[in-house]
Amino acid sequence: MQDYNDPFREARAKCPVLAAQHQGETIPMILRLKDVRKAAKDYTTFSSDAPRRVPIPSEEDVRTVRQYPLEVDPPVHAEYRKLVEPFFLRPKQPEVLAKIHSLIERLLTEACAADEIDIVKDFAIPLQSHALTYLLNVDEKEAELWISWGIHVFKDGDGKSKGPFMEKYSQQMFEAAEVNPGEDFFSALNQAEFQGRKLTMEEKLGYANIAFAGGRDTIIHTATRILKYFAENPKALECIREHPEMLNTACEEFFRLFIPLTHIGRVCPVKTDVHGHEVEAGDRVSLCWSSANRDPEVFEAPNEVRLDRKPNPHIAFGFGIHNCLGQHHARAIMRGIVQKLSESVASIEVTDQTELIEHEEDYSRKVGYEMLRAKFNAR
Amino acid sequence: MPKITFIQQNGEKVVVEDAVGTLMEIATDNDVEGITGDCGGVCSCSTCHVYVTHDWQDRIGSADEIEMDTLDFNEHKKPNSRLCCQIELTDELDGLIVEVAPEE
Repeated sequence: MQDYNDPFREARAKCPVLAAQHQGETIPMILRLKDVRKAAKDYTTFSSDAPRRVPIPSEEDVRTVRQYPLEVDPPVHAEYRKLVEPFFLRPKQPEVLAKIHSLIERLLTEACAADEIDIVKDFAIPLQSHALTYLLNVDEKEAELWISWGIHVFKDGDGKSKGPFMEKYSQQMFEAAEVNPGEDFFSALNQAEFQGRKLTMEEKLGYANIAFAGGRDTIIHTATRILKYFAENPKALECIREHPEMLNTACEEFFRLFIPLTHIGRVCPVKTDVHGHEVEAGDRVSLCWSSANRDPEVFEAPNEVRLDRKPNPHIAFGFGIHNCLGQHHARAIMRGIVQKLSESVASIEVTDQTELIEHEEDYSRKVGYEMLRAKFNAR
Repeated sequence: MPKITFIQQNGEKVVVEDAVGTLMEIATDNDVEGITGDCGGVCSCSTCHVYVTHDWQDRIGSADEIEMDTLDFNEHKKPNSRLCCQIELTDELDGLIVEVAPEE
């Protein structure tokens, strides 16, 4: 049976890259931790200046805008990133963290009160959507619309991308904030100055695009998989309850193993030799975070969950200048889930599930669940 | 228990008496500017980078391979760089002085 969780095990042992087919495009995937880190730092050789082509598969069909600050290189990258950084640091503020914790408590209380719930639809999606309103500092009622976007804005549910709708909605939010400015993300970008000028609507939509799409399926799948793990390992929950000092190491271990984002792309501006594989100018390579996080040269027993793993030099949030802006948000949410779960839930029984598998020509990888029905038993 | 001094990038000192835990935990508990310890101390994020002052380098020791690999790509890395989440405080470190590295 194929190991959906580490489909790169054999390839990584044989060779530093896997030249994999992605919708007719050959993309060498860099597999080992040290090599991925090195490539992530080398933005000259491996550029992000490639609108709509940094994600793999590329998103040319599902969005019209370049994502900021993900799809730009230095030196402008730092200036673009600085404009939104304060919002992405908000989960470190005690009052924002308290709201995240209250939200998790409410969702867990509802889960325990119900006969059973679908963890994806009834817990993870509302959690991600409501928590995002705290991050962007917008009215919490906006979450109701975002919940309807499903797991992945660009490829969920009925197969139709909600990308165009999301762009239109974002434009309306910027226009409304122009009329009634506040302390929110949209108002801040309307007022922001970049190199002595206001941002264009295309730039603002690019920021909103990644704020909505980037941290969506990633948060939803990670939260779901953490709950699934504790359903299967009730003693681990007991262990966290008895040793709350393990909260951080446990969550870092979940980030390492449950990373939903298989990889990300970079473009080689000139012909480049990537570990013996020739990449033509303008073609892409992949930084394979999910493989690097299982590199046995670095991680002992890489497929085992070790709640107290330390050191744990994973790169679940990327590496280098483009490291994940939403990582503080993700950490606040996952640490909150594990903490509140250990305090209020005795056990979780899974009753039904549909795994979400990413199928490519050269590998298949489990990224999360489309549905995970479970009964929560309160403490 | 040891007394630890952090020298921040702005030149100001933060002195912590009776320090217990890792150097990173002490820094974040005492709001040392420039040390955020985002990953909680597992050597993943490199947001607790310090320079160990010359007098203390032998006693602190150098980074192991995993720590070195994380530090390797840090643009402000120096020979006396350490990630302070990997330094567990002991009585032998009483009087330790470290300088906070610039943020990446």
